[in-house]
Amino acid sequence: MKQLTQRAISLVLALAMLMAACGALAEDSTIIGSTIQYDTSKPVNNGEEISIEFWYWTGADKLFQAVADEYAAIHPNVKITLVENPYDDYWTKLPLALQGSDGPAIFNVHNSYHENIIGYMAPYEIPVEDLEADFVGVSAHIIDGKVYYTDYGMMTATMYYNKAMWEAAGLTEADIPKTWDEFREVAKKLTIRDENGSLVQAGFSFNGGAQGDVLGMQYQYGQNLFTADNKVSFNNDAIKAVIQRMKDIYEVDGSGDYNFGNNSGDNFGQGMIAMYLGWGFMHGLFQALWPETEFGSFEIPTPAEEIPYAYHRYNGESTFGVNKNAPAEQQAVAQDIVRFFLANDALQKRFVLANSVFPAKKSLAEDADIMSVSSIAVLASHIDRYIWPGPMPSAVENNMKIALEDIFYNGADIETALKNAEDTCNMELDGSEFVSVEPSYAYASEAK
Amino acid sequence: MMQANRRKKNALRSRSEIILRSTVAAALVIFFFAFYFIPILIAFYGSFHLWNPLKGQFKYTGLKNWQTVLNNKLFWFSLKNTGLFSVAAVLARIVIGLLLASALFSRLVKAPSFLRTLYYLPTITPMVAVAFVWKNMYDPQFGLLNQLLGTKINWLFDGRYAMPAILLLTVWKDFGYAVVILLGGMYSLPMDCFEAAEIDGANAMQRFFGITLPLLRPTVIFIVITSFISYFQTYIPVMVLTQGGPGTKTHLASYLIFDQAFSKYNFGYASAMSFILFIIIAVLTGLSFKASGKNQL
Repeated sequence: MKQLTQRAISLVLALAMLMAACGALAEDSTIIGSTIQYDTSKPVNNGEEISIEFWYWTGADKLFQAVADEYAAIHPNVKITLVENPYDDYWTKLPLALQGSDGPAIFNVHNSYHENIIGYMAPYEIPVEDLEADFVGVSAHIIDGKVYYTDYGMMTATMYYNKAMWEAAGLTEADIPKTWDEFREVAKKLTIRDENGSLVQAGFSFNGGAQGDVLGMQYQYGQNLFTADNKVSFNNDAIKAVIQRMKDIYEVDGSGDYNFGNNSGDNFGQGMIAMYLGWGFMHGLFQALWPETEFGSFEIPTPAEEIPYAYHRYNGESTFGVNKNAPAEQQAVAQDIVRFFLANDALQKRFVLANSVFPAKKSLAEDADIMSVSSIAVLASHIDRYIWPGPMPSAVENNMKIALEDIFYNGADIETALKNAEDTCNMELDGSEFVSVEPSYAYASEAK
Repeated sequence: MMQANRRKKNALRSRSEIILRSTVAAALVIFFFAFYFIPILIAFYGSFHLWNPLKGQFKYTGLKNWQTVLNNKLFWFSLKNTGLFSVAAVLARIVIGLLLASALFSRLVKAPSFLRTLYYLPTITPMVAVAFVWKNMYDPQFGLLNQLLGTKINWLFDGRYAMPAILLLTVWKDFGYAVVILLGGMYSLPMDCFEAAEIDGANAMQRFFGITLPLLRPTVIFIVITSFISYFQTYIPVMVLTQGGPGTKTHLASYLIFDQAFSKYNFGYASAMSFILFIIIAVLTGLSFKASGKNQL
């Protein structure tokens, strides 16, 4: 009887160990992702040791370290060396490094440098339809049926407001403006001047970066930024109306001043101005640099209450690039990291939150943590009404900046300044391979 | 026997000297060819091409870049700005340099070595660092300059003040160079001329305009030429302070070249602009030599 009991116990123990072993095996072979899937049990480089370089620009070390650490935890045979460069240096060094075989196997991408790097990139090995199933906006990145990078998030402009100033002016949530006329009235209420009439607190400021705001607001009037033959269009009624309104906010309403601070983003954080139109990344920047400034966000106002052709433009925050000149085994690891990143919701969420961008991954579109970020949440109801013009060359923003400074600071008339900027920009774009993707916008047929 | 040994030793020494000198001279020639002459030739060749090294693009376009430069209003505007900026900066450098060098030379000033060092300090400070400090000084809200002057000027965004603001920074940074060179020139002047003039009853002003300045002419011309060459290449203060703005008010030719080459990677176009600037500097240098009345300093 005793022997029988001992045998029974041994059998139970053996069964328990077997089940535990099966459980461990199941855990080792976790498959993550929905359509794009990543099998953590699949060895990389046949399990043999391999080293690769992963390049990115300054300011995102924790994010890239997280990717490297999580990947290395699954594949200890892969040594990822992270190489950080200041942003401007990065775009000089990277294309040169990609020309040889000893450059980084994988690297961070910004679509404004598309032209300089696309020739050195290998297409993703993930089928395009799988990418489209999991991510929005992929279609704009398809080149000859292949995708070389896509977006993990969409960044656009939202209006930030200082909550303390808002409250002090007697404003409530109900006063959040929907139209530009309402906005101007609110800006007046938020403006404070001293007894000499000097500005103490600006209701609104666009000093030092208005080109980023203007190049997007013309869409509210149904006006595209590029013509059918890929020429830039600055000198049009929509942009003239946008600039005239900006001038009026300062010169007619007195809600701001060209000389009241030279960097409206910083000035908002410093508590000099009450409202500021800024891109998503400013959300994190304000929290990091000026934690004492409490702020909220609302969607950019429109000329009328109806839904416009587009609220503004967005720019995609890009997924990683793979170096086609890297040795084949390094490229294979790089492709594997790309798949790991795209399939991994936790990493996607981390990147989205760090940059305050609207997630391109469909599975994260209603994520509670992401939607708790006010600058993202305000976009949620109609993110489809934001347009991406394509990887715009820097000449477009540079020339608009010159035109706006000529208008705001040098007293040039709007039409002359815009015409000069348009001519110069089109001269500089001559020979560029840029192709606008405005025609692929979902509501492109509504353009004027 | 001893004489023969000495001759042999001398011969060996002179041979080793010849080898040393030849090596040094050859190294300099190689350096010059590798880092000046060959890049200049490549840039000249590249000026006839659509050239973007980041894309590996190098496509022959004939005279297109040159035609575009010559038809570019901004290039000519920048060139005019560069000329005015250079003349003003050179004049200020010479005038301030002469005044301070004369003061230090007069022996009435105490601690001239300390002052000489003090004046020279900005010259050896990196321009980027200086420009960032001055950018803060020009800030319309908290800048030192407005606080000192009791003004509310937006120095870097007001078209009337932006270029003078860059000029002021440049002159402050560079006047020490002129002081040191001119002071060196003054110390090498024949003292008997001054003593004779003093005996003849010449006052300080007469001695300065009658003796010091004419005798310093080669030194002044040297400073004028080197300053012109240097100021025609100014771009760092523009890049840090104004980025050519407001609008294009502070665009200088070298900034435009920098912008085309290293922001837009349009190397062919930037090379064509560089060669036009090179020709202008060469002509101005030649004219300066001619104006000096001598072909050597």
